[in-house]
Amino acid sequence: MKVAFVVQRYGLEISGGAELHCRWVTEHMQKYWDVQVLTTRAFDYITWKDHYPKGDDLVNNVPVKRFSVTKPRNPERFGRLQNYILTNEHRKEDEMKWLDEEGPLSPSLIRYIDEHKNDFDYFVFFSYRYYHSYWGINTVPEKSILVPTAENDPVVHLRIFKDLFRKPQAFIYNSVEERKMINRVSMNDHVLGEVVGVGTVVPSEVFVDDFRQKYDIKSDYLIYIGRIDKNKGCAELFEFFLRFKKETGSDIKLVLVGSTLLKIPSHPDIRYLGFLSEEEKFSALAGSLAMIMPSFYESLSMVTLEAWAKRKPVLANARCEVLKGQCLRSNAGLFYEDQDEFSEALNLLLSSPQLTDAMGKNGELYFNQNYTWEVIENKYLSVVDQLEKRKE
Amino acid sequence: MTDEKKQEKTSEGEQNIKIDYENIDVADIMDQIKTKIAAQPKKEPELPLVESNYIPYAAAPPGLPPEAPSAKSKIKALLLKIMKPFSPLIRLLVLPVSHELAETVKTLDLTNKKLDYLSEKLHHDLFQLNESLNSRIEVVDKSMNKRLDLAFDDIGRIKEYTKLLHSLSHNVVVEMTKLKIEEENLKIKARILEKDFEFLGRREKALEDQVLK
Repeated sequence: MKVAFVVQRYGLEISGGAELHCRWVTEHMQKYWDVQVLTTRAFDYITWKDHYPKGDDLVNNVPVKRFSVTKPRNPERFGRLQNYILTNEHRKEDEMKWLDEEGPLSPSLIRYIDEHKNDFDYFVFFSYRYYHSYWGINTVPEKSILVPTAENDPVVHLRIFKDLFRKPQAFIYNSVEERKMINRVSMNDHVLGEVVGVGTVVPSEVFVDDFRQKYDIKSDYLIYIGRIDKNKGCAELFEFFLRFKKETGSDIKLVLVGSTLLKIPSHPDIRYLGFLSEEEKFSALAGSLAMIMPSFYESLSMVTLEAWAKRKPVLANARCEVLKGQCLRSNAGLFYEDQDEFSEALNLLLSSPQLTDAMGKNGELYFNQNYTWEVIENKYLSVVDQLEKRKE
Repeated sequence: MTDEKKQEKTSEGEQNIKIDYENIDVADIMDQIKTKIAAQPKKEPELPLVESNYIPYAAAPPGLPPEAPSAKSKIKALLLKIMKPFSPLIRLLVLPVSHELAETVKTLDLTNKKLDYLSEKLHHDLFQLNESLNSRIEVVDKSMNKRLDLAFDDIGRIKEYTKLLHSLSHNVVVEMTKLKIEEENLKIKARILEKDFEFLGRREKALEDQVLK
């Protein structure tokens, strides 16, 4: 069986959520299928400017075909247009213009899909909101599988996507909440859909003492891993955390890992460590008391799954339906909507080692049951198997 | 596990949140947290600092027994009793006006501080009300937008139907006209045929006459 994975960017250097998700899935499914990645030459997700050489490439033994982006994105123009269509009554033509601006505008990629559709059994498209998925699915709806990686943001309600969500043969969702949202938006319940997500590899050995020594962290700490950004809820996290400390006098620290787009408050109990290697990241995670995930929009938080894999409870933002749903299903995390809930939940976690331990165990169990690669691979195989049976 | 057993497992730091550690139920824990928060008194904005040396209506410190009246105090009480009818006059004469003024200023100052506090509280409440109204407006706005989208979709469909109906009516009128013309033609043909028939009848009669002769 020959399967094409179509994604906006692809490369070892790209750590973006959907792109990394696609790369991991492709590399794992190579065992079962003859895979081919179809992508653009872009590296920068803001402008989509050509970066990688055109044509064929090999990334971790996966064949990759890259197509040029004919027009890089102008962030200002795109911002204006997006603001207009999200706040004003508009026509479908405006949404189509928005899609072109959203990019990555690569008509040659769509042409290739059209000309070679008979060479592939299925096309797996990642991220519904980009040009490649919209036009790709419209070109080969009969062979399309969509991994939408949709967050609950206003874009999902655009008219063009209501139609799009009814076209693929199957959906591979990241979470139950994502499926519900897409079903609600487009009434596509009749389309085959499985909640799969993505697996992750957790190192069995971690070096907590080395990590603590290297970064001179002696006391107990909470950890946040990810982009430090207002959109990720970090500004609110700083406020809640500092107020919690002021109110309770707790000596807990907050350790931040990842790139930053936000000014981090200068406070002795907030430590920013920057970008860490995978080994150090897991050591940091293993040494923490709990992980905090303050993001408002997540389609699947990989780092939350990693925390559970390392038996760490999570304190998540309840305004993100996906995170809240995962905490409830796993019984491995608490959540908050405001300062009071944040303080109460954190206080409970800090005051009860028995609770953090029990939640950590639940998290590990939830991870093993749903997010090991063996489980993920079987779910992908099952979706394709069901589509094949339908053909018969 | 019963509530009793759950309670046993509650540590002091958890402040009455019951947890069954063998069977953690996050939904239940979060419900308890929400209930606990709801039961707490609402946080008020911080009060302005009041001068510590001025405590109006302050009660006497508790725990001290009243002292037994001495002879001096007895005489003082007696004198006060005798002088009571004249007390307003004496106060007017004896007490300095500045003291009265100072008392009034202090009372006014206290009133101002209370007014400041009430004003701040009012602002705080208004801000909260505004926040809650904004969030409700946002929800209503979103739902209205969704409904408008649906309505616009419906209008689009109705427009299409209207166009179709218009085109259908036009076709019906054309067809009706064609049929009318056809009917007229057929009537004319029928009349011609009737005439022909009549003529042929006459001709038949004439031929019969001719033959019989």
